[in-house]
Amino acid sequence: MTTPSPRALAWRRRGAAFAAGWREFAKQRTGLVGLGVLVVIVLLALLAPVLTDQENLDVTKATGGRMESPSWEFLLGTDRAGRSVLLLTLWSARISLTVGLVATLISVAIGTVIGILAAHFGRWVSAGLMRVTDFFLVLPSLVLAIALSSVLERGVGTIILAIGLTSWPAAARLVRAQTLTIEARPYIERSKALGGGHFHVISKHVLPAVAPLVFVNTTLAVGSAIVSESTLSFLGLGDPDPMRPSWGSMLRSAWLDSAMIAGAWWYLLPPGIAIGIVVLAFTMCGRALESVLNPRLREG
Amino acid sequence: MSDILIPTEEALAEVPPPTRGGGTVRYVLTKIGGGLISFALVIVLGFLLFRALPGNVIATMTRGRPATPEMIAQLEDEYGLNDSLWQQFLTYVGNLLHGDLGNSYIFRVPVLQKIEERLWPTVLLVGVATLISVALGLWLGTRSGWRRGSRFDRVSTGVALTLWSTPTFWLGMLLLAGTTGLFPTAGLVYSDTPPDFFSQAVDMAHHLVLPTITLVAVTYAQYQLVMRSSLIEEMGADYLTTARAKGLRDDQVRRKHAVPNALLPTVTLVFLHLGFVIAGAITTETVFSWPGLGLLTYDALRVHDLPLLQGTFVVLAGAVIFMNVIADLLYRVLDPRVRAS
Amino acid sequence: MIIVRSRRLALGVTLMVSALVTVPVGIPASASTPVKAATAQDPKILRIGVTQAVDSLNPFISITRTGTDILRSQFEFLTTYSQGSMTPEGTLAEKWETSDDKLTWKFHFRKDVKWSDGEPVTAKDAAFTFNKMLDDEVARTANGSYVAQWESVEATDDQTLVIKTKVPQATMEALDIPIVPEHIWSKLADIGAEATYPMVGSGPYYITEFKEAQFTKMKANKNYWRGAPKIDELHFIYYRNADAAVTALQSGQIDLVNRLTPQQFDALKNDPNVALNNAQNRRFNEIVINPGAATNDGTPIGDGNPALKDVKLRQAIAQAIDSKTLVDKVWGGYATEGAGYIPPVFADFAWQPSGKQVRKFDLDAANKALDAAGYKKKGDDGIRLDKTGKPMNFRLLAHAEANLDETAGPFVKGWLKDIGIGITLEPVSDDQVNEDTTRGDFDLAFSGWNANPDPDYVLSLQTCANRPNAEGKGGTPDSFLCDKTYDNLYKKQLSEFDRDKRIDLVKQMQSRLYDQATTVILGYDNALEAYNKKAFEGFPLQPADKGVIMNQQGYWGYYGATPAGEGPVPVYGENGENTATGDGTTEAAADDGGNTGLILGIVGGVIVILLIGGLLVMRGRRKTAEDRE
Repeated sequence: MTTPSPRALAWRRRGAAFAAGWREFAKQRTGLVGLGVLVVIVLLALLAPVLTDQENLDVTKATGGRMESPSWEFLLGTDRAGRSVLLLTLWSARISLTVGLVATLISVAIGTVIGILAAHFGRWVSAGLMRVTDFFLVLPSLVLAIALSSVLERGVGTIILAIGLTSWPAAARLVRAQTLTIEARPYIERSKALGGGHFHVISKHVLPAVAPLVFVNTTLAVGSAIVSESTLSFLGLGDPDPMRPSWGSMLRSAWLDSAMIAGAWWYLLPPGIAIGIVVLAFTMCGRALESVLNPRLREG
Repeated sequence: MSDILIPTEEALAEVPPPTRGGGTVRYVLTKIGGGLISFALVIVLGFLLFRALPGNVIATMTRGRPATPEMIAQLEDEYGLNDSLWQQFLTYVGNLLHGDLGNSYIFRVPVLQKIEERLWPTVLLVGVATLISVALGLWLGTRSGWRRGSRFDRVSTGVALTLWSTPTFWLGMLLLAGTTGLFPTAGLVYSDTPPDFFSQAVDMAHHLVLPTITLVAVTYAQYQLVMRSSLIEEMGADYLTTARAKGLRDDQVRRKHAVPNALLPTVTLVFLHLGFVIAGAITTETVFSWPGLGLLTYDALRVHDLPLLQGTFVVLAGAVIFMNVIADLLYRVLDPRVRAS
Repeated sequence: MIIVRSRRLALGVTLMVSALVTVPVGIPASASTPVKAATAQDPKILRIGVTQAVDSLNPFISITRTGTDILRSQFEFLTTYSQGSMTPEGTLAEKWETSDDKLTWKFHFRKDVKWSDGEPVTAKDAAFTFNKMLDDEVARTANGSYVAQWESVEATDDQTLVIKTKVPQATMEALDIPIVPEHIWSKLADIGAEATYPMVGSGPYYITEFKEAQFTKMKANKNYWRGAPKIDELHFIYYRNADAAVTALQSGQIDLVNRLTPQQFDALKNDPNVALNNAQNRRFNEIVINPGAATNDGTPIGDGNPALKDVKLRQAIAQAIDSKTLVDKVWGGYATEGAGYIPPVFADFAWQPSGKQVRKFDLDAANKALDAAGYKKKGDDGIRLDKTGKPMNFRLLAHAEANLDETAGPFVKGWLKDIGIGITLEPVSDDQVNEDTTRGDFDLAFSGWNANPDPDYVLSLQTCANRPNAEGKGGTPDSFLCDKTYDNLYKKQLSEFDRDKRIDLVKQMQSRLYDQATTVILGYDNALEAYNKKAFEGFPLQPADKGVIMNQQGYWGYYGATPAGEGPVPVYGENGENTATGDGTTEAAADDGGNTGLILGIVGGVIVILLIGGLLVMRGRRKTAEDRE
């Protein structure tokens, strides 16, 4: 019988840890609900081109009347141009989710790198990086995001960049704190004593240990990024292409088209509710994940 | 721009390590020094960012009105646009130190005057909203943390999370739609309110209700959740078991020991989140036509009124930095580990 | 069953419950009568909701619609436009004459016109105002275009003003320049400085208070030479959120609002307290197509797509835009379909294409025309290639948040896609649009102008001379058209004094414009306004038939504002005298007795009760806990 290689052992151990973590996660009802909701929504968003025709987002092809209330033909009524609000809400999921995910990945990536570097190298590097981090943390990020969006060309890419560049400080502080804790542990010392260079220590020890926390952070941060996207779109900085709506730009249209005054609740409520549900789902997942990591936070 | 629900780990990680009393002076100086450096960064960044904004600033100013070439040259000279970027920066900093933030392009009055006019409505709105959010969040967090798992805990946490997940402006629009006629829909006061202090104050309070509710609804959740988490952390601490063993009542244990200790991360949070609350203020001011600094910033951005933008940016960021320095200093005072020594 | 032992606790809970019960009952009761109380002693105030902020209330500086509208009530001009027919009538100047070469103008001032502080208004005030504009460029900020060709201004005596111009100027009979009091403004070191309030004026109202981004308050001028207005005060209240203004109208917080969108207008149709005004406007909306922007000496500027130099391409684009759909979807039916350049409200000069010239909306025909012109379609995305082989993707510049631009943009994009042209919508700030169009950095752009009874100004926008000079200044270009035929016709009509001949020339110009297709007229939208009819009888409209209340070329709407019960609404004749007779009065508004105060009282009381109740409950509970121990 051959002894499995150290790498195989490591992966087996990770697999077992993952399974244990999943069992713990599954015990939390809220986390499961959140995950379930997310899976459904992501599936719907991905399958949108299969289930419906994007051509129907073209205003010149709209068949409904102006802001009609819900009927059997239009389950969520129509918008000002006569397009189905249900269709709009479905297709908006794609943009909103994409922006939320990509922006968060960018911010978490930047934050993780800076956090690890600051903790690992200490002294001047740390002081310098933390000063920059504190500075970005303290800046009114919406103002910075608006300014960036007005310098660069309007669109999804700019919003992603704006959110990503202004949301990383929280992740950075978190990762730095965690890295400090990890690096204080004996096995790191041992690794360094054995001649492990910076890259080795970081990639083989710090990163895997920090990964769970980063994952939790990411989950929680996506929700916030989606809300940020909706705010920036509402303020008029999003993608003006009517064939690529997002929940934020839907709310902007509802605002400009006086849905409130016209009593068109079907135009005003769905995007906001959709945002709320998705963000809530991400948050519930995140908090459940958090308690997997931190037993003291577990319910019951 | 909202921020994440900071996990407890991170909230607690922000606690600076306790040091002996003699380090106080050094601590204070370090914090103030750090604040000044951040502020200097703000000025540099603000200058660069807005100078990079596209558009000919003179064109913005003379907007659609015939302007002779001499006029243009004179304006360019006046605004120093012919100087090098470095020279412009030096002039800008020099003026800043004299308190001269330039003149707004649209309004043709000094930027400082515009900021002064619009500052206190924002301070009022943000201040009242923060006070209520903190009080509400702390109270709810304490109760739900202490009675963990109870129905109160689950319901209040659920409500807090739901409200936090909704966009601020959407909530504001719903409130406007749902309370048609009950409250004023815009502004600080009605134009025909009698000028005596009492009438004006009452009218202003009436106008303040909806914007405050909107802002509170999306900010209090953070405080509640962190208070709850840190209280839960505290409750597992040894000294509390000792206190209970000694016969102290639940109530007293909570009030005298657990809560004050759990308070620290929340206090830090309040100041850290000022930037986030200000962002919420921008959208709230837009929905409710509240004539504050947030609205001024947004409108200035839309028309690229450079001096005004730089001015509001500096003021807003400076305020947040200032608040953070205060927080750090306050922390020193409040930290029981230091006081005890 | 909860047994409450502590009395304090019981009191607290009772208070809270009673508060929670009172609120839902009390507030709707008082909110159901939304008309604000008005006793006989209260000043009569007209509260107007505006959605554009005032930039400045200095008459030399202000260029915003709201600012100039307010200043029109504050300061008289030499002449104004009559209410009925919008022709110039004398105000400060009673009569005037001009020399044969039309270079010297003599204005005879009306006697007994006073400033609101009692001082007489004389020609010297006008001379001061105009000379200030000639000397100080800051004073030319708002209205400098009027005096650009002037040589001198002199008040030969208190009642006579002589103006000499370098070239004949048609606008001398309608100089929209506020005349300021010399005895106050001559003391200012900086003419562009912020004004002080109350502002001394000669119009029907004068400004007493200005809170930027909140409101402007004006009081009636008791010394007004036509007689004081019926109301005592005029308030302009700023709403960043237009829906908030409409809600405020519905709940009686304001009395008059304009620039409604079709949705808001329709939503108010069923409100029994609101009267609507669907007025024919003098505005035309267009999309301009960049035919090759250049300065007035022919140097090309900007980055417009050169493919658009082809008139056949522009005509195809024009044919692919359906004005009828836009009237329906964008303006909710409250507009007239686009045709000629001059809006149909000016019936004499307006023109319609006919016969072979008509370009009906027809996507197939447009596609065929483009095929015939040699614009081949590429394979996959259906976008045509221009003559150099590049796919034709054009930018469409739009004003962010504008009803027309935001709603029509997607339609134009959809239609043009069907004829093989890609469109990228670019909604930017108003200033950005101005900048980009002035520099020629656009392919297509939304635009629009208010025409005047004399079409000269809007016609001049499409001449070669209207293009900017080498520094990018000196003109407010529209579509950068430079066409010899058009320019010749323009010169002819400028010096044609026979009205019928002039009308014919103007119509020929519009026909030429239509064929050149550098502007595509989208439609002429109506001005939609609403007011509280329980509080106000009505307002004089300008023009009298289907006209507007606000943003008039005059002040008749505000001057003749008539509270309910004080009718009839004035009708001002060609000399400005009130010719309305009869008894067109409605019931005066019922006196409701200050329900706002009631609401406030209830809200305040409830909050106080809740706070006290809460405190008592908390203390009660603690006490009980301690008792239990």
